[in-house]
Amino acid sequence: MLSKKELLILERLVADGPLYGLQLVERSGGALKRGTVYVTLGRMEAKGLVESEQEKPVPGAIGLPRRIYRPTALGERMLRAWATFTREIAWEVKP
Amino acid sequence: MRPGTTLLKIAPVLFNERFIASVVHPTIADLQSEFDAAEADRAKRLRVLGRGYAVFWMLIIVAPFASWSDNRSDSPTARLALGSAGVAVVMVVTFGAWTALLIVAAGTLVALLIHAWHERHPSEIAVLPERRWRSPQINFSSTDVGGNAGGLIFVVGSVLIVSLGLPSVFWFLLTAALAAGFVAWGLAVWHRRTQEEDWTSAQRRRRQLL
Repeated sequence: MLSKKELLILERLVADGPLYGLQLVERSGGALKRGTVYVTLGRMEAKGLVESEQEKPVPGAIGLPRRIYRPTALGERMLRAWATFTREIAWEVKP
Repeated sequence: MRPGTTLLKIAPVLFNERFIASVVHPTIADLQSEFDAAEADRAKRLRVLGRGYAVFWMLIIVAPFASWSDNRSDSPTARLALGSAGVAVVMVVTFGAWTALLIVAAGTLVALLIHAWHERHPSEIAVLPERRWRSPQINFSSTDVGGNAGGLIFVVGSVLIVSLGLPSVFWFLLTAALAAGFVAWGLAVWHRRTQEEDWTSAQRRRRQLL
Protein backbone atom coordinates (compact mmCIF):
# COMPACT_ATOMS: atom_id res chain seq x y z
CA MET A 1 0.00 0.00 0.00
CA LEU A 2 1.33 3.43 -0.96
CA SER A 3 0.34 6.64 0.76
CA LYS A 4 -0.45 9.73 -1.31
CA LYS A 5 2.90 11.31 -0.51
CA GLU A 6 4.83 8.13 -1.26
CA LEU A 7 3.05 7.83 -4.58
CA LEU A 8 3.79 11.45 -5.42
CA ILE A 9 7.47 11.06 -4.53
CA LEU A 10 7.81 7.90 -6.62
CA GLU A 11 6.09 9.55 -9.57
CA ARG A 12 8.41 12.55 -9.41
CA LEU A 13 11.56 10.46 -9.01
CA VAL A 14 10.62 8.15 -11.89
CA ALA A 15 9.63 11.06 -14.15
CA ASP A 16 12.42 13.51 -13.29
CA GLY A 17 15.29 11.25 -12.21
CA PRO A 18 17.31 11.57 -8.99
CA LEU A 19 16.30 14.60 -6.89
CA TYR A 20 17.18 16.30 -3.62
CA GLY A 21 14.49 16.55 -0.94
CA LEU A 22 14.12 20.27 -1.49
CA GLN A 23 13.65 19.77 -5.24
CA LEU A 24 10.89 17.27 -4.50
CA VAL A 25 9.17 19.87 -2.31
CA GLU A 26 9.45 22.50 -5.03
CA ARG A 27 8.13 20.19 -7.77
CA SER A 28 5.23 18.81 -5.72
CA GLY A 29 3.18 21.98 -6.05
CA GLY A 30 2.71 22.31 -2.31
CA ALA A 31 1.77 18.68 -1.66
CA LEU A 32 5.07 17.95 0.10
CA LYS A 33 6.30 20.04 3.02
CA ARG A 34 9.84 20.76 4.06
CA GLY A 35 9.16 19.52 7.58
CA THR A 36 7.96 16.07 6.60
CA VAL A 37 9.52 15.25 3.23
CA TYR A 38 12.61 13.64 4.76
CA VAL A 39 10.50 11.66 7.23
CA THR A 40 8.52 10.27 4.30
CA LEU A 41 11.71 9.61 2.33
CA GLY A 42 13.25 7.89 5.36
CA ARG A 43 10.22 5.63 5.71
CA MET A 44 10.32 4.84 1.97
CA GLU A 45 14.02 4.05 2.23
CA ALA A 46 13.28 1.68 5.12
CA LYS A 47 10.65 0.00 2.92
CA GLY A 48 13.14 -0.30 0.06
CA LEU A 49 11.19 1.95 -2.31
CA VAL A 50 13.92 4.59 -2.69
CA GLU A 51 17.66 4.76 -2.13
CA SER A 52 19.88 7.72 -1.42
CA GLU A 53 23.46 8.81 -1.40
CA GLN A 54 25.29 11.93 -0.32
CA GLU A 55 26.28 14.31 -3.08
CA LYS A 56 29.92 14.31 -4.03
CA PRO A 57 31.79 16.99 -2.08
CA VAL A 58 32.68 20.04 -4.14
CA PRO A 59 36.28 21.18 -3.56
CA GLY A 60 36.31 24.17 -1.22
CA ALA A 61 32.68 23.73 -0.18
CA ILE A 62 31.84 23.81 3.52
CA GLY A 63 28.80 22.50 5.29
CA LEU A 64 26.88 19.26 5.17
CA PRO A 65 26.62 17.43 1.84
CA ARG A 66 23.07 17.10 0.55
CA ARG A 67 21.36 13.75 0.02
CA ILE A 68 20.05 12.77 -3.39
CA TYR A 69 17.23 10.24 -3.82
CA ARG A 70 16.38 7.82 -6.61
CA PRO A 71 13.76 5.08 -6.94
CA THR A 72 14.79 1.45 -6.47
CA ALA A 73 13.70 -1.32 -8.83
CA LEU A 74 11.15 -2.31 -6.19
CA GLY A 75 9.88 1.28 -6.03
CA GLU A 76 9.43 1.43 -9.81
CA ARG A 77 7.65 -1.94 -9.82
CA MET A 78 5.44 -0.78 -6.97
CA LEU A 79 4.52 2.38 -8.89
CA ARG A 80 3.64 0.37 -12.00
CA ALA A 81 1.60 -2.11 -9.96
CA TRP A 82 -0.19 0.75 -8.21
CA ALA A 83 -1.01 2.41 -11.53
CA THR A 84 -2.40 -0.88 -12.89
CA PHE A 85 -4.38 -1.48 -9.71
CA THR A 86 -6.00 1.98 -9.73
CA ARG A 87 -6.76 1.65 -13.46
CA GLU A 88 -8.45 -1.73 -12.90
CA ILE A 89 -10.39 -0.43 -9.90
CA ALA A 90 -11.54 2.60 -11.91
CA TRP A 91 -12.70 0.21 -14.64
CA GLU A 92 -14.53 -2.00 -12.10
CA VAL A 93 -16.42 0.86 -10.44
CA LYS A 94 -17.46 2.48 -13.70
CA PRO A 95 -21.28 2.56 -13.91
CA MET B 1 29.54 30.06 12.09
CA ARG B 2 27.53 28.11 9.50
CA PRO B 3 23.75 28.14 10.01
CA GLY B 4 22.51 24.94 11.58
CA THR B 5 25.70 24.24 13.56
CA THR B 6 23.89 24.73 16.87
CA LEU B 7 21.02 22.57 15.70
CA LEU B 8 23.48 19.80 14.86
CA LYS B 9 24.80 19.98 18.42
CA ILE B 10 21.28 19.83 19.88
CA ALA B 11 20.11 17.01 17.59
CA PRO B 12 21.79 14.06 19.42
CA VAL B 13 19.92 15.04 22.60
CA LEU B 14 16.53 14.94 20.87
CA PHE B 15 16.82 12.31 18.13
CA ASN B 16 18.30 8.89 17.58
CA GLU B 17 21.21 8.31 15.21
CA ARG B 18 19.15 6.93 12.35
CA PHE B 19 16.72 9.84 12.43
CA ILE B 20 19.63 12.30 12.49
CA ALA B 21 21.29 10.64 9.48
CA SER B 22 18.16 10.31 7.36
CA VAL B 23 16.16 13.40 8.34
CA VAL B 24 18.07 15.97 10.38
CA HIS B 25 21.26 16.04 8.30
CA PRO B 26 19.47 16.45 4.93
CA THR B 27 17.25 19.17 6.45
CA ILE B 28 20.23 21.15 7.71
CA ALA B 29 22.12 20.51 4.45
CA ASP B 30 19.17 22.08 2.60
CA LEU B 31 19.20 25.02 5.00
CA GLN B 32 22.92 25.62 4.42
CA SER B 33 22.58 25.17 0.67
CA GLU B 34 19.70 27.68 0.47
CA PHE B 35 21.58 30.06 2.75
CA ASP B 36 24.60 29.97 0.42
CA ALA B 37 22.38 30.43 -2.63
CA ALA B 38 20.88 33.59 -1.07
CA GLU B 39 24.41 35.16 -1.25
CA ALA B 40 24.38 38.76 -0.06
CA ASP B 41 20.61 39.21 0.00
CA ARG B 42 20.09 39.78 3.73
CA ALA B 43 16.29 39.52 3.65
CA LYS B 44 16.42 36.28 1.72
CA ARG B 45 18.99 34.85 4.11
CA LEU B 46 16.82 35.72 7.11
CA ARG B 47 13.83 34.10 5.43
CA VAL B 48 15.86 30.94 4.75
CA LEU B 49 17.06 30.86 8.36
CA GLY B 50 13.55 31.30 9.76
CA ARG B 51 12.18 28.57 7.52
CA GLY B 52 15.05 26.19 8.28
CA TYR B 53 14.79 26.61 12.05
CA ALA B 54 10.99 26.23 11.92
CA VAL B 55 11.40 22.95 10.03
CA PHE B 56 13.90 21.72 12.62
CA TRP B 57 11.49 22.38 15.50
CA MET B 58 8.71 20.71 13.55
CA LEU B 59 10.87 17.59 13.35
CA ILE B 60 10.76 17.36 17.14
CA ILE B 61 7.01 16.87 16.92
CA VAL B 62 7.24 14.48 13.99
CA ALA B 63 10.17 12.37 15.25
CA PRO B 64 8.31 10.36 17.93
CA PHE B 65 5.95 9.05 15.27
CA ALA B 66 8.68 8.05 12.84
CA SER B 67 8.69 4.48 14.14
CA TRP B 68 10.80 3.27 11.19
CA SER B 69 13.75 5.20 12.60
CA ASP B 70 13.83 3.50 15.95
CA ASN B 71 13.80 -0.10 17.15
CA ARG B 72 13.23 0.79 20.78
CA SER B 73 10.01 -0.42 22.34
CA ASP B 74 9.23 2.70 24.40
CA SER B 75 6.02 4.43 23.49
CA PRO B 76 5.74 7.43 21.12
CA THR B 77 4.08 9.37 23.94
CA ALA B 78 7.14 8.97 26.16
CA ARG B 79 9.44 10.12 23.39
CA LEU B 80 7.15 13.04 22.60
CA ALA B 81 7.24 14.04 26.27
CA LEU B 82 11.04 13.78 26.27
CA GLY B 83 11.26 15.84 23.09
CA SER B 84 8.92 18.49 24.50
CA ALA B 85 11.02 18.71 27.66
CA GLY B 86 14.11 19.16 25.50
CA VAL B 87 12.44 21.96 23.54
CA ALA B 88 11.36 23.64 26.77
CA VAL B 89 14.93 23.56 28.15
CA VAL B 90 16.36 24.97 24.92
CA MET B 91 13.73 27.75 24.87
CA VAL B 92 14.38 28.69 28.49
CA VAL B 93 18.13 28.83 27.84
CA THR B 94 17.57 30.84 24.64
CA PHE B 95 14.81 33.24 25.62
CA GLY B 96 15.20 33.53 29.40
CA ALA B 97 13.57 32.38 32.61
CA TRP B 98 10.27 34.14 31.91
CA THR B 99 9.73 31.67 29.11
CA ALA B 100 9.58 28.92 31.72
CA LEU B 101 6.47 30.50 33.23
CA LEU B 102 4.85 30.77 29.81
CA ILE B 103 5.72 27.15 29.04
CA VAL B 104 4.26 25.94 32.35
CA ALA B 105 1.08 27.97 31.76
CA ALA B 106 0.71 26.76 28.18
CA GLY B 107 1.48 23.17 29.21
CA THR B 108 -1.13 23.28 31.98
CA LEU B 109 -3.70 24.69 29.59
CA VAL B 110 -3.01 21.98 27.00
CA ALA B 111 -3.15 19.27 29.70
CA LEU B 112 -6.53 20.58 30.91
CA LEU B 113 -7.82 20.63 27.34
CA ILE B 114 -6.65 17.06 26.71
CA HIS B 115 -8.18 15.92 30.00
CA ALA B 116 -11.51 17.63 29.19
CA TRP B 117 -11.48 16.06 25.72
CA HIS B 118 -10.77 12.63 27.17
CA GLU B 119 -13.61 13.03 29.68
CA ARG B 120 -16.04 13.85 26.86
CA HIS B 121 -14.69 11.28 24.41
CA PRO B 122 -13.11 8.47 26.41
CA SER B 123 -10.97 6.31 24.19
CA GLU B 124 -11.48 2.69 25.08
CA ILE B 125 -10.30 -0.30 23.18
CA ALA B 126 -13.19 -2.46 22.08
CA VAL B 127 -13.01 -5.91 23.68
CA LEU B 128 -15.15 -8.80 22.58
CA PRO B 129 -17.64 -9.99 25.24
CA GLU B 130 -16.90 -13.31 26.84
CA ARG B 131 -17.92 -16.19 24.62
CA ARG B 132 -21.17 -17.75 25.76
CA TRP B 133 -21.18 -20.52 23.21
CA ARG B 134 -18.84 -23.38 22.73
CA SER B 135 -16.43 -23.16 19.87
CA PRO B 136 -18.21 -24.17 16.65
CA GLN B 137 -15.18 -26.08 15.35
CA ILE B 138 -15.60 -29.75 14.47
CA ASN B 139 -13.59 -32.11 16.62
CA PHE B 140 -13.21 -35.40 14.78
CA SER B 141 -11.92 -37.24 17.84
CA SER B 142 -15.18 -36.58 19.75
CA THR B 143 -17.47 -37.62 16.89
CA ASP B 144 -19.33 -40.87 17.45
CA VAL B 145 -18.87 -43.13 14.47
CA GLY B 146 -20.93 -46.29 14.12
CA GLY B 147 -19.11 -49.58 13.53
CA ASN B 148 -20.95 -50.26 10.29
CA ALA B 149 -21.02 -49.31 6.60
CA GLY B 150 -22.27 -45.80 7.46
CA GLY B 151 -19.32 -45.26 9.81
CA LEU B 152 -16.93 -46.44 7.10
CA ILE B 153 -18.43 -44.04 4.57
CA PHE B 154 -18.15 -41.22 7.12
CA VAL B 155 -14.49 -41.96 7.84
CA VAL B 156 -13.52 -42.34 4.18
CA GLY B 157 -15.43 -39.17 3.28
CA SER B 158 -13.81 -37.18 6.11
CA VAL B 159 -10.32 -38.32 5.14
CA LEU B 160 -11.03 -37.46 1.51
CA ILE B 161 -12.31 -33.97 2.40
CA VAL B 162 -9.34 -33.22 4.67
CA SER B 163 -6.82 -34.53 2.14
CA LEU B 164 -8.40 -32.45 -0.63
CA GLY B 165 -8.42 -29.34 1.60
CA LEU B 166 -4.92 -29.96 2.99
CA PRO B 167 -2.92 -31.86 0.38
CA SER B 168 0.22 -31.57 2.52
CA VAL B 169 -1.22 -33.97 5.12
CA PHE B 170 -2.25 -36.63 2.57
CA TRP B 171 0.57 -39.06 3.43
CA PHE B 172 -0.01 -38.57 7.14
CA LEU B 173 -3.71 -39.42 6.66
CA LEU B 174 -2.91 -42.42 4.46
CA THR B 175 -0.44 -43.81 7.03
CA ALA B 176 -2.93 -43.11 9.84
CA ALA B 177 -5.73 -44.83 7.89
CA LEU B 178 -3.55 -47.90 7.22
CA ALA B 179 -2.48 -48.06 10.89
CA ALA B 180 -6.09 -47.63 12.00
CA GLY B 181 -7.10 -50.45 9.61
CA PHE B 182 -4.54 -52.78 11.21
CA VAL B 183 -5.69 -51.85 14.74
CA ALA B 184 -9.35 -52.40 13.71
CA TRP B 185 -8.50 -55.77 12.18
CA GLY B 186 -6.64 -56.78 15.39
CA LEU B 187 -9.61 -55.71 17.55
CA ALA B 188 -12.08 -57.60 15.35
CA VAL B 189 -9.99 -60.79 15.59
CA TRP B 190 -9.66 -60.39 19.36
CA HIS B 191 -13.44 -59.86 19.78
CA ARG B 192 -14.26 -62.91 17.68
CA ARG B 193 -11.95 -65.13 19.70
CA THR B 194 -13.17 -63.90 23.08
CA GLN B 195 -16.82 -64.26 22.00
CA GLU B 196 -16.13 -67.85 20.92
CA GLU B 197 -14.51 -68.55 24.32
CA ASP B 198 -17.53 -67.03 26.11
CA TRP B 199 -19.97 -69.13 24.13
CA THR B 200 -18.03 -72.27 24.88
CA SER B 201 -17.92 -71.45 28.60
CA ALA B 202 -21.71 -70.85 28.49
CA GLN B 203 -21.37 -67.44 30.18
CA ARG B 204 -22.93 -65.78 27.09
CA ARG B 205 -21.48 -62.40 27.97
CA ARG B 206 -19.71 -60.16 25.57
CA ARG B 207 -16.39 -58.89 26.67
CA GLN B 208 -15.54 -55.38 25.80
CA LEU B 209 -12.06 -54.03 25.45
CA LEU B 210 -13.00 -50.45 26.27
